Amino acid sequence: MKRSNYSIAAMLVCFAGLLALTKLSASATPPPVTKASAIQVLMIQSDEIKLPAEFQISLYENLIQQLEKKGGFQHVYREGDTAAAGASDLVILHSTIRGFKQGSERARQVTTVAGATSIDVHCQFTDKSGAALLDSDIKGKVRFFGANLKATYDFAKKAAKIANLNFSASPAK
Amino acid sequence: MGLRDGRIALGAALSVCAWLAVPSGAQQPAPVTGVEQVIGMAGIKEHAKGSLAIDGGNLQFSNSKAKASVAIASMQDIVTANDSQRAIHGTLGTLTMFAPYGGGRFLSLFRSKLDTLTIQYVDTSGAVHGAIFTMAVGKADALKKQLVALGGHTTIPIEDEKKAPETKPAASKEEKP
Repeated sequence: MKRSNYSIAAMLVCFAGLLALTKLSASATPPPVTKASAIQVLMIQSDEIKLPAEFQISLYENLIQQLEKKGGFQHVYREGDTAAAGASDLVILHSTIRGFKQGSERARQVTTVAGATSIDVHCQFTDKSGAALLDSDIKGKVRFFGANLKATYDFAKKAAKIANLNFSASPAK
Repeated sequence: MGLRDGRIALGAALSVCAWLAVPSGAQQPAPVTGVEQVIGMAGIKEHAKGSLAIDGGNLQFSNSKAKASVAIASMQDIVTANDSQRAIHGTLGTLTMFAPYGGGRFLSLFRSKLDTLTIQYVDTSGAVHGAIFTMAVGKADALKKQLVALGGHTTIPIEDEKKAPETKPAASKEEKP
C-alpha cells in the first residue's frame, strides 16, 4: 500500500515536471534558423509617434553603419537599392518608432543618474516575400553624458547585435 | 574709312556696356560657414566641420581635408529644425502634448541654439541616404529656400513670408467733417 502511494507520488512529480518543461519550451521563442548574407534596411517609420526628421535619419544612418561594422553581413543594402533584388538570401529590417521618453542633457550632466532619454523601436525582420522571421522591441538610451543623438547610436548598436546573432552567417565573437 | 572705324568702335563700346549692364544670373549664393556634418555624407567624417555651398546643381560640403557633394535634383526631402517644430506641434498645439508615449512632445536631437538641415536623397542605384547638418540659428531656412528653388523636393513646404496687411479701401478715404 505504502509502495503504491510512493509510486503515485513519483508519477505525479514526473507529470508536473513534464508539464513545466512543455510550458518553458512554449514560452521561449525558438531562434530563427535563417542565415543570410545580405540585409536591407528600410527607412525608420514614425507614423504614430512624430519625431523630427533628423532623428529618423540619424537612426537610419547609424543602423546602416553599425550593420556594416558589426552585423557580419556581406552586403548591407539601403532602402530602394536596386541591387538588393539580386540577393538570394536577403533579410529585410523594418523599424517603427513606438515611443520615446524625453530626457534632459542638463539633468544628466548635473546628476548623472536622472534625465535619461530613451527611444522605443519595434524591429521586424522579414524575408523577401514579407514573411516575418523575428520581431523585437529595442530601446535606445542615453543615460549619462551626451546629447540625444547618442540614443540613436545606442539603438543601432543593439539592433545590429540582434541581427548578427539571429541572421548572420558569421556571428560576432 | 575713318567714319567706318568710328562706327565699329562705337558698336564695340556699346556691346561692352550692354554686357556690363546685364546682371549676372548665374551668381552663386555665398557658402554657409561653421557647418557641422553630423552624419550621412559619404567620404566625410562624422562631426566634421566645414562649409556648405551650392555649386551648380550640387550641394557641396567641404573643409580642408575632404569634399563631398549631393545633386540637388536627387533630394527627396529637405527639412529644417523649424519645419520639424511646425510639423510636430502644428496647429494642434498643446493638445498633442497629451498624446500617449510622448507622441506630442518635441524630442530634439541636439542642444538648442543650433539650426539643423536634414536632407534625404537617392543615389544612382536608387538607394536612400540621409545627411544631417547643424549650423548657426537662422541659416538653414535660407539654404532650404535656395535648394528648393534649384529643384530639391520637400515634404514640408516653405512657410510663406507674412504678407503686408492690405489697406482697406474705406480707410483710404478721408472723412469729411
